[in-house]
Amino acid sequence: MTTDLLILQTLLVGLVSVLMAVMISIIDGIVNNYGDVVVDVNGKKQMTVKGGTKLLGTLADQGIFLPSACGGRGSCGACKCQVESDVGPHLPTETPYLTDKEIKDNVRLACQVKVKADIKVHIPEELFNIRKMECVVEKIVELTYDIKEVLVRMPAGTELNYVSGQYGQFEVPKYGDIKEPTARAYSFSSNPQMKEHVEFLIRLVPGGAVTTYVHKFLKEGQKINVIAPVGDFNVKDTDASMICVAGGSGMAPMKSIFNDRIARGVINDRPIWYFFGARTTKDMFYLDWLWELDAKYSNFHFVPALSEPGPDEDWKGPVGLITTVLDEYLQTKIPLTEVKEGYLCGSPGMLDACMVVMKKNKMPEERIFFDKFA
Amino acid sequence: MSYVDPITLLFASIFTSNILLSNFLGTCSFIAISKDIGSSNGLGIAVIVVLVLSSAISWPILHYVLIPFNMIYLDLFVYIIIVAAVVQALEMIIERVSPALYMSLGIYLPLIVANCAILGVVLFMEIRNYDFGQSIIFGAGSGIGWWIAIVAAAAMRKRIDKNPVPAGLQGPGITLITMGFMSMAFVGFSGILRVQ
Amino acid sequence: MKMNEDLKKAQAQMKSGVITVEGFLGYDDRDLATIIQHDEEEMARLNLDWEVVGQAMHYLLKKGSDGLGEPISVDKKWLVHVDETRGTLPSPWAGEGIFHKVNCEVRRLDKEGKPEGKILLFNELSLNMLEKHHFLEGRGSHFRLEPSDVKTVLGMWG
Repeated sequence: MTTDLLILQTLLVGLVSVLMAVMISIIDGIVNNYGDVVVDVNGKKQMTVKGGTKLLGTLADQGIFLPSACGGRGSCGACKCQVESDVGPHLPTETPYLTDKEIKDNVRLACQVKVKADIKVHIPEELFNIRKMECVVEKIVELTYDIKEVLVRMPAGTELNYVSGQYGQFEVPKYGDIKEPTARAYSFSSNPQMKEHVEFLIRLVPGGAVTTYVHKFLKEGQKINVIAPVGDFNVKDTDASMICVAGGSGMAPMKSIFNDRIARGVINDRPIWYFFGARTTKDMFYLDWLWELDAKYSNFHFVPALSEPGPDEDWKGPVGLITTVLDEYLQTKIPLTEVKEGYLCGSPGMLDACMVVMKKNKMPEERIFFDKFA
Repeated sequence: MSYVDPITLLFASIFTSNILLSNFLGTCSFIAISKDIGSSNGLGIAVIVVLVLSSAISWPILHYVLIPFNMIYLDLFVYIIIVAAVVQALEMIIERVSPALYMSLGIYLPLIVANCAILGVVLFMEIRNYDFGQSIIFGAGSGIGWWIAIVAAAAMRKRIDKNPVPAGLQGPGITLITMGFMSMAFVGFSGILRVQ
Repeated sequence: MKMNEDLKKAQAQMKSGVITVEGFLGYDDRDLATIIQHDEEEMARLNLDWEVVGQAMHYLLKKGSDGLGEPISVDKKWLVHVDETRGTLPSPWAGEGIFHKVNCEVRRLDKEGKPEGKILLFNELSLNMLEKHHFLEGRGSHFRLEPSDVKTVLGMWG
C-alpha cells in the first residue's frame, strides 16, 4: 500500500469523524443549553444563572452554601431545602433522606435537583451568613497520635462572625485517587475573638478522604478553602451550671466556648464542669491548659477520666468510662439543687449514653444541647 | 437490482423483509427491552430515528466520498463512526426531552451502536445500490418493522409472563421461542412480494 | 465472569466517586463476581465460616461501642475503637438500606495488654456486605478485609 493511499484513507476517515464531531457539538450546544434562569432565594435574593447544573452547585456559585458532608453525592442528606417550583417528582436518590412530611412540603436534596427553568427555593435564614474563604494553613500541631490541631489564617480583611460551637466546612484539594476537592465539617476550636484565624481539631478517620489528607499531606503555607459558619450548637445565655462532656475531636467546640468566655470575662459567672474521657494518657491532650483553668477559676471544674490507664502511667484521677464518672459526679459531687444544662459533643453513641445518664440524674431533656452528626 | 417503487419498498422493509424477524438482526436489545412495553415503544422509535439518520448521512458519504476515491472497503469503518455519532446525539436529545425515558432505557440506548440491525440496514443500502430516496425509505421502513416487532413482543410477553413458564425458559428463552413464532407468521407475508 | 443485573449495578455503584470518594474496589481490576468467588475460595481454604466471622465482628462492634468513641479493650483479647462520622452510606446493592458511617478498628492485645499486629478495619456497611454477599471489597480499598488477616486478628483457629 503506497503512502499516498494511506494518507488519503486517513484523511477520508478523519473527514467523516470531524463531520460527526461537529454535528455532536452543535446538538450538544442546543440540547444542553438551558439558557438563563432566575433563582429566587427566600423571596429576598434573585440571581440570574446559567441553567443545567444541580441546585447545590448553582447556589454555591452564587455564594450561598448549603451544608454538605458528601460533596453533592447524595449520600448525606445535609443539603435539604424547600423548592417551591415544580422540578419533577422526588428522585429515588432523595427519598431515603426525607421524612413523609418533608416530602409533602417539597423539601428536596439540592444536590439532586437540576436547575432547568426559573426556580424558587427557601433555605434556612442563617445560611445567608455563610461565606467561602481561601485561607492559608499557618500551623499544624500534633496533639495525639491521631488528632491534629490546624490553625488557618483568613484572607486579609475578612471578618467571620461566628458563635462558639459552630463549625466550618474544610475543603481539601484532589489527591491520589480522589479526583475532586472534598469538604468535611469540623467544629471551630478557635474563639470568635480571634479576628484573623480559625482553628480546627481534626481526628484521623480510617478511610476518610479529608482526614487522611490532613494527616498525611497537609502542609503549613498551603491554601485551603473554608466555608463557614454553620451549625446551631451554642451556649445558652442562662445562669444554669454547664455540664460539658466531650472527648477526642469533640473537645474543639469546648475549647472555643471556654476561651470565648474567658475573653468576655464571664468564665467564672456560672459553674462549669468539663468531663473529658479517653482510654490512656496517650489519648489525652491540652491537660496543662485545662488544669490551669481549674486552678485559676473557682467555678471551673475539670474532670478527666481514663477508661483503661496502664499500670505504668501513674494515673491518680478517676478511672472508668466517662459516663460512669459523669453519673458519679452528678450524684455525689455536683450540688443537686443547681439547675443544670448539658453540652455534649461526640459520636451519636456517646451522646445517647450521656443523655441517659443526665436524664437519670433529673436533668431536663430540653436543656441538654448537643452537636450531633447523624 | 431492479427498480423497486417506494410504496413497495416501504411495505417490504416493514413486513416481508423485516430486519428482525426475517433477517434476524438486532435481537439482543430486542430480547432485553421487550419485557416492558413503555421502554419498547421508546426504544423502537429511537431505532427508527437512528436508522433514518444513519441512512441519510451514510448515503452521501458513500456516494460522494468513498466511491469517487475508490475506498469502498472503508465502508464498515465509516458507517460505525456515523452510527456512533448519531446515537450519541440522540442520547443527548432524549436526556433533555424525556429524562424518564432516558433512565428506563439505561445502557440500551448507547447499545444501539452495537445493534447489528443498524449496520445491516446501511450495508444493505450499499449492496442493493439504493438511491438516496430509497435509502431513506428503506431505513424508515426497517425501523418501523423493528418497532412493530418489539412492541408486539412486549405485548405478548406481558401475557406470557402471567402463565407458568418453565424456570429454564423464563426471560430470554421464551422470548426467543416467541420471536421464532412471529418470524414464521411473517414468512406468510413473503408470498406477497420479495425484494431480497 | 458473567454477572447478573444486580451484580452489574452493584459494581457500578462501587466505583470511586459514586457512593464514597474512594469507592469499594480499590485498584482491583477483577470484576465483582470474580472478587467474591476468589474470596469465598480463600475463606474456605482457611476454614473460615462466613456466618461465624460476621457474628464475631458484630460482637466486637457492639462491645467496642461501649468505648463511646474512644478505644476500649474487649475480653482482654482485642483493642477495639468504634467511632462514627457525619453522613450515611447507601449499600451499592440497590434497596438494601442506608448505613451510618460507623467505623470499627480491631487489634489483638498481647500478654501485657499492648496492641500488636495488623489492624482489622471495617464499618457497618462493609460488615453488611460481608454477611449478605460475601464481599470483602477490592484489593487496595481502605476497608478491604484479607481473609488471612481476619483469621489472625479474630483468632479463629479452624
